[in-house]
Amino acid sequence: MTDRVATRTDLKQFGSLWPRLGHWLALAAPGVFLLCFWQYASGRLIRETYISKPSEIGKRLFELFVTGEIWPNLAVTGKELVLSYVIGVTAGVLVGYWLGRSPRVAAIIEPYVMALYGVPKIALAPLFVIWFGIGIWSKVVLAGTMVFFLVFYNVYAGVRSVDREIVNLARVMGANERQLGRQIYLPAAAPHLLLGMRMAIPYAVIGVIVGEFTASISGLGLFINYASSTYDPAGVFAGIFILLAIVTILNAAATRIERRLLRWRPQENSAPPVDGN
Amino acid sequence: MRNNLPTIIGPDAPMTVADEDVAALSFRGVRQTFMKPDGQTPMAILSDISFDVPRGKFVSIIGPSGCGKSTLVQMAAGLLNPSGGSVFHNGKAVTSVNSQIGFVPQQAQLLPWKTMIENVEFPLLLRNVDSRERRERAREVVAKVDLAGFEDHYPYQLSGGMQKRASIARMLIYRPDTILMDEPFGALDAQTRMVMQHDLQAMLETENSSVLFVTHDITEAVILSDTVIVMSRRPAKILAEISIDFARPRNVFEPHACPGFSEAYNEVWSEFRNQLKPSGTA
Repeated sequence: MTDRVATRTDLKQFGSLWPRLGHWLALAAPGVFLLCFWQYASGRLIRETYISKPSEIGKRLFELFVTGEIWPNLAVTGKELVLSYVIGVTAGVLVGYWLGRSPRVAAIIEPYVMALYGVPKIALAPLFVIWFGIGIWSKVVLAGTMVFFLVFYNVYAGVRSVDREIVNLARVMGANERQLGRQIYLPAAAPHLLLGMRMAIPYAVIGVIVGEFTASISGLGLFINYASSTYDPAGVFAGIFILLAIVTILNAAATRIERRLLRWRPQENSAPPVDGN
Repeated sequence: MRNNLPTIIGPDAPMTVADEDVAALSFRGVRQTFMKPDGQTPMAILSDISFDVPRGKFVSIIGPSGCGKSTLVQMAAGLLNPSGGSVFHNGKAVTSVNSQIGFVPQQAQLLPWKTMIENVEFPLLLRNVDSRERRERAREVVAKVDLAGFEDHYPYQLSGGMQKRASIARMLIYRPDTILMDEPFGALDAQTRMVMQHDLQAMLETENSSVLFVTHDITEAVILSDTVIVMSRRPAKILAEISIDFARPRNVFEPHACPGFSEAYNEVWSEFRNQLKPSGTA
């Protein structure tokens, strides 16, 4: 992250494409090396039936998209991801904010939430199938719970970390309770919230895929599970590469949004304070 | 929850219409007791404090650290109820958060997610003043505290002194008739502090505000004030109320060059010196 900021500054300074290009090359190098080594090792060092090989996986990916076979699965998984994420984040923000602002209620409820946090959600996957059916809702609930806890804890911590003195000062300046929430607590908790939301992205994906592994009628998890149980490593890896792409893209988007919303925070190589009295 | 703040107020109208004879702030028999950390033993902080901040006057409180100076400011702001006695602002007892008063805390406490000018506008935003008027009035006070040109900087991009100026501008923008300052320049370096003292004096000249100013710096208290109140160690009582009469405007950069400064300083110091514990004693 820091590297990218540095690259941008350099870019402005030198007005050249080269630093950015160099950065991307450096970023790609380890991946390319791994893929090459994989390609070489497959069939030579390790049997291809175990690990497939990149060229084979690439071919499979191409086919999956061209024939359209993957699209229905992607659509289902995407829908589950969006729903679980939105529901989990919303619930996490509401409960986190509420408990953060009500220490007395929090003192009673927090131990319960903490205990529930410790429950391995994945162990509940079969139960969720019984409760919510084999369709998308069992996955939404599973992934949504995982998202909820991450967002909840971050928002809760964020709201509680608000400086008492700033709150008092705002009161003296005339803030009522609603304004305190809107103008002080929420913006102060925003960095925590955004961190929680970014951390929750991979967990949403894991939750959805595990849910689909457990029992489903469509989705990427089902696709991977099916490929795995039919000794089709190229299919498994093709599915995994799609997941990797989803997580990477979402994470990059989240980072961008985060940096935009938190531009009021000092960045590592931002200008130092203006000198003066 | 509705705000029952006065919806502001032309540029020249004072925030509260106050009787000239009534003191801006009156402390009457104020006592404060806190529980010690063990939660059992009460500890008296303030015992029977009574004094006034007359209208348009600058009153400093000076005392050894931990003597409860800040507690008095908290009470006047309505953030803390005294264990006994009352605080009156313009003749009315302060019983809840006092949003008629201006408060400058020790740290600038700007909101880091707002630009400098948005911070200055903040009290008007809380009073639902429309955005154009907000911006207009903010530009006025920003110019007054000499921060023009830094409107769109975020707090982390400003020096400590500039943050302090913004913090003062944010207080001035709603034109409180009474201002509380709790060691406002304590965290600044010596040069910046002098510049701030000079500018504060100049700003207040045109405002006719009443100020209660807490400090632990005798020079600062003497050079800025009309009255210096010296407090004792815990449980604090008022040792002396000293009028500082030498002429204004005063030169904060060379206080000792002001005729009358040394005498006033010595008067305060002779009261204050007994309150400093020699180091090494409990």
